[in-house]
Amino acid sequence: MISKYLEAGSTYAGDIDSLILLILAVVGFWGLLAEVVFFGLIFKFAEKEGVKALYVTGEDPKEKRWVSIPHYLTLIFDVMIIIGALRVWAEVKLDMPQADETVRVTAQQWAWTFTHPGPDGKLDTEDDIRTVDELHVEVGKTYHFELASRDVLHSFSVPIFRLKQDIVPGRIIKGWFKPVITGTYDIQCTEICGIGHGLMPAKIVISEAGKHQAWVKANAGVAAVAAPVSGSTGGMP
Amino acid sequence: MRQYLPFVLSSAVLAATGCNSIHPDGAAATLPGEELYRSCEPCHGGAGEGNPSIAAPAIAGHPAWYVEAQLVKFRSGIRGAHPDDYEGLRMRPMSRQLYTQAEIKAVAEHVSKLPVQKAAPTITGDAAAGAVSWGTCQACHGVDGKGNPAVNAPPLAGQNDWYLLTQLKKFKAGIRGTNPDDTTGGTMRPMSMTLADEQAMKNVIAHINTLSR
Repeated sequence: MISKYLEAGSTYAGDIDSLILLILAVVGFWGLLAEVVFFGLIFKFAEKEGVKALYVTGEDPKEKRWVSIPHYLTLIFDVMIIIGALRVWAEVKLDMPQADETVRVTAQQWAWTFTHPGPDGKLDTEDDIRTVDELHVEVGKTYHFELASRDVLHSFSVPIFRLKQDIVPGRIIKGWFKPVITGTYDIQCTEICGIGHGLMPAKIVISEAGKHQAWVKANAGVAAVAAPVSGSTGGMP
Repeated sequence: MRQYLPFVLSSAVLAATGCNSIHPDGAAATLPGEELYRSCEPCHGGAGEGNPSIAAPAIAGHPAWYVEAQLVKFRSGIRGAHPDDYEGLRMRPMSRQLYTQAEIKAVAEHVSKLPVQKAAPTITGDAAAGAVSWGTCQACHGVDGKGNPAVNAPPLAGQNDWYLLTQLKKFKAGIRGTNPDDTTGGTMRPMSMTLADEQAMKNVIAHINTLSR
């Protein structure tokens, strides 16, 4: 349902969407019902001519049910949501599937530097490919990422992957993703990081194996490849 | 009809606000340089005095042609797009707040009219030895370091010495001046190679510190 509006581009995007929908359904249904009951009671027991107000002590079990039943239901549905959330948490955060490749993501005010392995598939070798504001990955491959910051807090967000992970200076934070669709999509910083926070968009380019390998081959060992200027933050009229 | 008045009024205000906004296509009128400069102030200061603590150089009084050229370079990724150019990578997105060539010109004009701020020396070196190395630099930057627009050489006299050292290191390391479209940077890069080491850079900067702007 959510993927109708924002494509699900990673193996776990659908599970995160399902969790969001579960929370929406539970909270939405009971939230609306609570409002209906709340306003219903207000109108039903509104001040009336000749009717004296009652002081309700809340000791009568019939009256207490209005509190205790929703209370138990809240606990039951909370447990449902927690179970759903823990399952997704375990899948996304606790289980790290074997990586086909690792990419390094370095954030700074206000740009992203991505370090890709070259044809040897390993980082920290001479054929590494560094790009600014453009991450290249291959569809169907499992990637580990290593997040680092050169200065302040940032957050690595890839909406189509339903991925958002804070980047903390002084720490290397690891995670993973496996793209399942091809195309060019947004990467954004989702932690206010200074005056240029809104000016640090980047792109993720997800390609078929052949196309991605051709890109790796063409750029292997090139010190710096800057993403071309495009879109509303770029093109000079 | 009266009950719709707030809606009509608020819609009219919103429409009027929208008409005055700057469209990314540059369709609307250019804001004055002074107003555009407000985006630069947090780093370069209200008087263009710079801020060494965040590596923002003084820009007050820089010639408009140079400021314009650098803004165009930053904006198009010819400068400030190398992964090791930490300060340049900060400047590049800021330059993208200027949507049109007219806006770049306007802010460059404003910067050029700001009174030059006297930069206090922070680097010590052998100015006499630096004067010898300066012989190469002066061919473009002028004997007095006042620059030469005919060869796209900016003034160096009066510039923050820490900034000059950073840029010389960047040119020499290939962090600046290696983009194929950076013709002027490409000219400067081999010149930086003539300075053997950091001490040689500091010496020539010590000489530049003796030149008045």
